[in-house]
Amino acid sequence: MTSDPLASPSFADRWRRGQQLFWTWLADLRLAILLLLAIAIASATGTVIEQGQSLAFYQENYPTDPALFGFLSWRWILSLGLDHVYRAGWFLGLLILFGASLTACTFRRQWPALRAAQRWQFYQEPRQFTKLALSASLPQGKLDSLEPLLLQRRYRLFRADDVLYARRGLAGRVGPILVHAGMLVVLGGAIWGSLGGFYAQEMIPSGETFQVRNIVDAGPWSGSRIPQDWAVKVNRFWIDYAPDGRIDQFYSDLSVVDREGQEQDRQTIHVNQPLRYGGLTFYQADWAIAAAQVRLNNSPVLQLPMAQLPAAGRIWGTFVPTKPDLSSGVSLIAKDLQGTAVIYGSNGEPLGTLRKGMAIEVEGIRLSLVDLVGSTGLQIKSDPGIPWVYAGFLFVMVGVVCSYVSHAQVWALEQDGQLYIGGRSNRALVAFEQEMLAVLAQLDAQSNHSAETAIA
Amino acid sequence: MNLVSLQNSLDNATFAILLPTLLCYWTGVAFPNLKGLPAIGTAGMAIANLCMAALLGARWLEAGYFPISNLYESLFFLAWGLTAIHLLAEKLSGSRLVGAATSPLALGIVAFAAFTLPKEMRQAEPLVPALKSNWLMMHVSVMMVSYAALLVGSLLSVAFLVVTRGQAIELRGSSVGTGSFRQVKLNRASDLTIATAESGGSGGTAVLEQPVLQLAPEQLSLADTLDNVSYRVIGLGFPLLTIGIIAGAVWANEAWGSYWSWDPKETWALITWLVFAAYLHARITRGWQGRRPAILATVGFGVVWVCYLGVNLLGKGLHSYGWFF
Repeated sequence: MTSDPLASPSFADRWRRGQQLFWTWLADLRLAILLLLAIAIASATGTVIEQGQSLAFYQENYPTDPALFGFLSWRWILSLGLDHVYRAGWFLGLLILFGASLTACTFRRQWPALRAAQRWQFYQEPRQFTKLALSASLPQGKLDSLEPLLLQRRYRLFRADDVLYARRGLAGRVGPILVHAGMLVVLGGAIWGSLGGFYAQEMIPSGETFQVRNIVDAGPWSGSRIPQDWAVKVNRFWIDYAPDGRIDQFYSDLSVVDREGQEQDRQTIHVNQPLRYGGLTFYQADWAIAAAQVRLNNSPVLQLPMAQLPAAGRIWGTFVPTKPDLSSGVSLIAKDLQGTAVIYGSNGEPLGTLRKGMAIEVEGIRLSLVDLVGSTGLQIKSDPGIPWVYAGFLFVMVGVVCSYVSHAQVWALEQDGQLYIGGRSNRALVAFEQEMLAVLAQLDAQSNHSAETAIA
Repeated sequence: MNLVSLQNSLDNATFAILLPTLLCYWTGVAFPNLKGLPAIGTAGMAIANLCMAALLGARWLEAGYFPISNLYESLFFLAWGLTAIHLLAEKLSGSRLVGAATSPLALGIVAFAAFTLPKEMRQAEPLVPALKSNWLMMHVSVMMVSYAALLVGSLLSVAFLVVTRGQAIELRGSSVGTGSFRQVKLNRASDLTIATAESGGSGGTAVLEQPVLQLAPEQLSLADTLDNVSYRVIGLGFPLLTIGIIAGAVWANEAWGSYWSWDPKETWALITWLVFAAYLHARITRGWQGRRPAILATVGFGVVWVCYLGVNLLGKGLHSYGWFF
């Protein structure tokens, strides 16, 4: 079976050629620049157009007539997914294409460039120096006097008889590869995290025990990570206030308890200090007022649940009955956990301010405030991608620092009573020029000096 | 000593030093034969830098935390970073043009912070709970220094565009290293000298020997120098920006359980990163050299400002502390 060389190229040939073209296109730097700018512009639209609002919101703010800039109406926004840019299919597609371009670039450009940098060679002919901008010939220059000057400047030297090669900063060629690899690991970790992780929120009053149930967002493979055989008890939630009434810090004293109610772990968390247990992390994220504990005349302590008042911001209220048949009562309103509440009568008249441990006479009853009970708002997260993302971050950071290093190479040749020196650098041209000129000046001074001593 | 009044006199002193510094640099550019002016400018920048360091130090002592938690402090930190990066860039390039570009920016920031901000916003205030973390120092200071470096670097690109207006130019520094080659092919007739040497025993007959090649280094032009220093300073700002963003992501993950949440500030930091990444890649792209990367860097100058101030003017998101709202 031999193919006729004059026949049109076989399918396999065309396939191979097409593949070749595809990889060349994918590794093209102009594509990479275009992708970087496209992702930048797409990300910017997401900060200008409000994200995740209702249909009515977009209809009101982006009417079809007159449309913003003549075209940006709510119909366009919704059909392009500009109401959720960062989750839109085309945006994720851009990110995937970006990842593919990174990979292709690493293998087709950076890796060969690193290999080329490692495969250096001596310059054996003076004419090889002519292409370098920073090249010079020194009469009576000696390789032996050049060597210490380069060593002093932390160059690595290779020498054979009358030729010399020196280099410094090969790390600058490794850095970009590390950055690209690290970014791929971060992207992979993010995908893994979104598939295998979940995220939940709970609002739990001080003193209660809860299991993680209010899952807000869960990946398809996250089922096994939701804990079934342990729960968390909120021993206490409190807020520290600064003397001027400003919030200093939120604290939750949490215990992890197993099925028998045995304590497995206990930590006090605050913002910036979460609890980690069983692959889950509990963050201090929010708070509310759960209940008011009051006493009416000499009654036992009554715990009345407080509710957040609609459309009033962070204000909570409850109804305190003043007659046994609940036909009459007052409202108790609080806006923080500093131990002060305001009492309003049934007609809405303010009746006075009540401090914790104090009492007030209202409608013939002595109402005393024992305490205000807070709820802690916890954000609960499990993200199996985190180790990958952090490892990727480490690669990126190390790589990006290495990438600042400039790769410098120096060649030298002693021939015909001349010392030829030439050098090149890829990034720090100005600094390298100064360095080379300094080396040349020092060499010049040395050879003049030796010439003088020779004459003397 | 009263730390508050010390701060007030230091912020005015910084302005009073930067104004003549700016005039020195500009006069120096207009009259290049006045040799002393750039040296006075450099000294002015250095003194202003020390004044701002002292101001921030006094603030640190007074408030007890690292002083970049409100707009006033962060503007002074930025101006301090600008003057520091300016001194570095000036030393690298040895060009008086650097100061002509950076001193107005530093002066503008100091004037805004010292005179335009209302008095309440200039006072030290306690930190909100979310900022009480050692990450604050790490994340914010690195971000601010990176902004300073990127601003200086992109200003130098603007200067490069001004210097090279109307010329075709090939950029030199880039990570592929195309810039280290001679731009003009050596003219053999003028550059190669044929050395004749007398040979000892031939009785006065000059013998033509093998030609010996003579070479002299070709040095960078002003435009090349500006361009390369701009590239190096942006190259310094870029890793800092990367580390700052990553520090912020790790902090967010430790504090709130999410390393990336597309918060407007976060997103604009990413946009800044993407624009400067595009700049760095444009420099190594054949056919894209010349003015195009410098134009990208100029765009980057605007993007840094949107990221630093613009996002906070919206007053949305995780980063709306100590600003206008």
